[in-house]
Amino acid sequence: MANFNIDADKNLTYDAIVIGSGISGGWAAKELCEAGLKTLVLERGRIVEHVVDYPTMTLDPWEHELRGGLTPEQKAKHPKGGRSGFIGAMNEHFHANDLENPYTEVKPFMWVRAHQMGGRSLLWGKQTYRWSDLDFEANAKDGHGVDWPIRYKDIEPWYTHVEKFAGISGEALGLPQLPDSHFLPPMELNCVEKHVKARIEKEFNGRNMIIGRVAHLTEPLNGRGKCQFRNRCDRGCPYGAYFSSNAVTLPAANATGNLTIRPFSIVQSVVYDEQKGKASGVRIIDAETGEDIVYKAKIVFVNASTLSTTQILLNSTSNRFPNGLGNDSGELGHNLMDHTYRVGAMGTVEGFEDQYYKGRRPNGIYIPRYVNLKDGPQSDKFVRGFGFQGGGGRSGWGAGGNQEDFGGNFKDGLMKPGPWEFFITGFSECLPYHENQVYLNKDVLDKWGQPTLSIDAEWKANELALNDQARKDAKEMLERAGLKDIMEFDNKHEMGFGIHEMGTARMGRDPKTSVLNGNNQVHGCENVFVTDGACMTSSSCVNPSLTYMALSARAANHAVSELKKMNL
Amino acid sequence: MNRRDALKKSALALGAAAGAPTLLSLLQACAKTDRLTWTPVFLSEDQARFISSFVDFLLPKTETPGGLDVKADVFIDLMYAKTYDEAGQKQVVADIEKFNADCKEKYGNVFAELSEEDKTACFKGHEANSPKFPKTVWGGAVGPREPVGFYRGLKSTVLWAYFSSEEIGKNVLSYDPIPGDYLGCIPLSDVGNIWSL
Repeated sequence: MANFNIDADKNLTYDAIVIGSGISGGWAAKELCEAGLKTLVLERGRIVEHVVDYPTMTLDPWEHELRGGLTPEQKAKHPKGGRSGFIGAMNEHFHANDLENPYTEVKPFMWVRAHQMGGRSLLWGKQTYRWSDLDFEANAKDGHGVDWPIRYKDIEPWYTHVEKFAGISGEALGLPQLPDSHFLPPMELNCVEKHVKARIEKEFNGRNMIIGRVAHLTEPLNGRGKCQFRNRCDRGCPYGAYFSSNAVTLPAANATGNLTIRPFSIVQSVVYDEQKGKASGVRIIDAETGEDIVYKAKIVFVNASTLSTTQILLNSTSNRFPNGLGNDSGELGHNLMDHTYRVGAMGTVEGFEDQYYKGRRPNGIYIPRYVNLKDGPQSDKFVRGFGFQGGGGRSGWGAGGNQEDFGGNFKDGLMKPGPWEFFITGFSECLPYHENQVYLNKDVLDKWGQPTLSIDAEWKANELALNDQARKDAKEMLERAGLKDIMEFDNKHEMGFGIHEMGTARMGRDPKTSVLNGNNQVHGCENVFVTDGACMTSSSCVNPSLTYMALSARAANHAVSELKKMNL
Repeated sequence: MNRRDALKKSALALGAAAGAPTLLSLLQACAKTDRLTWTPVFLSEDQARFISSFVDFLLPKTETPGGLDVKADVFIDLMYAKTYDEAGQKQVVADIEKFNADCKEKYGNVFAELSEEDKTACFKGHEANSPKFPKTVWGGAVGPREPVGFYRGLKSTVLWAYFSSEEIGKNVLSYDPIPGDYLGCIPLSDVGNIWSL
């Protein structure tokens, strides 16, 4: 792949600026560049070139001195993100330094950040599901939050657009609550998953269990290789088999000749021109030199990831917007959502002792939402619903720690696969509450002297009721599927653990109650677009990234069209 | 002064405070048959001898390599040196000393010097009294949790040191770094031992 143009300083004026190079920023950059706009992508961290900058992608445990262990110095950099349990020596270089980028937990909130080109697109779980009108109509129907300004029909062509380029594998089911994508062939369920699927679908009318729909190629696409089932995705994939900005959207943007990426660019604010009544550019601080630079553009896409996007908007004050860009409604920073995490059940499955599998599948099973559907049973304990992810496999040597045994036979026994285990864990929808919020904290500054965020959010009664039902349902499904030694669990994680932060700059129909319009434009400053998780008006119970991709492509094409009409 | 020198010095100081070696301790020293064949970077000689004997008793050589054959003890010492912070290092030293002190009290000697019968009794006692690890989902613990204690923690560490070694990972377990495909249902007999990765 050609090197990226990082020589931004020669030119201070572009057609478009995109803040952030993760999943949504990458898509915005690709669409804008392909439409012919000279586009500057501002990235807070360093350049990470596909393959070239994946130093751990092929390392076996014994090829790393500490076999994946972290040094105390590495651990000390991640007192917050480290709580996720996802940071190890093989991916530590893709996680932001919490000490240089502090935030304040008014209530406990775990925030995972990835400050480099590609952002969290290098680390995400790749589960990709379309939302449906069950989601886009939910707020209007039950009165929580404000109505989405769009419906499924508005976003459907853009789902198609991004799916065909990103590459989504999965199985079509025809479910109204979980519309099918344009699928590459699905990954395979293993024998125990097939068995549990058959039992659950027989025992429970209206419940389905499918292989996860994922942004992993199961066939080559546009020069990218298919998944090799190494399951080392969070180190970067040498085949480009999973969707990341680094492997997919940014190379496409770069190929147009219209892309410039400027690394080490800490965005201070979006600059508002009081005379023209619109944004004129973006002010940055060079992370290495401390230099203050303003880049100009006709349009600005803010895609710094949900909370960082809102942080930038809150810090972008002017006479016209004294409380933050687009904050006429007072809703900027409010209505923070996430998905609940690690509530469910697990057990063992007997009868498949002579069966095994080959390959490390970076995917599991999915049980789509079945509660509170239009034509199904309604709960009187909660609104909205939950879906389940999970999977089955045979335990390995790690189980030996708990076995009350030792010695030669013990050791040799651990060389053989243990029992088949199977688990499901629920992801519940979170309602948008005005009081779940972030705000600027000028007492705690980051390494570059910028105000940081205070995060004040918690689960409330509806989320707890959803979780309670998800746990009970998980146990019941495993029981009726015939599993043994069933254990139910609810880790009662604080918000943030889902790593699905949504809201804080929501879309809406009314400028008095929302920050963005139906095309992701900031109310009152229509040449600024927000298409990452900040824009979300509700949270659904399904993973959000595919929807960010579709909204980004849709908004970028709207921006190009409006520019052509001289409306921006 | 680095951590290990500091520990050595403090150990010497303690020895000096206790006075000249007694006849009994000299006899015990003579009875030590296992000489360390490696130089620890963190542990003292005696602490390293404890780790080596623990590894050897937990995972002895059979038709497959033992824990010492793949230098699990050497790796554990390195891990203590490079992945533990100072508080963690202090704790592990205290835990080893306590483990040995308990062995002395119950069986009359440090773990490394015990007979096979006494080592067996010691491990069985710890197995019966050590809480279990919680179940995990996606690498995170779920369900009831309580600290597993030094014995089970070390046991788990030894398993990691053994099974993550190149000899076991490449030559004993089923090694397939680039599977290429996922096959969800195949006869176990086609694979044999568990996948190493």
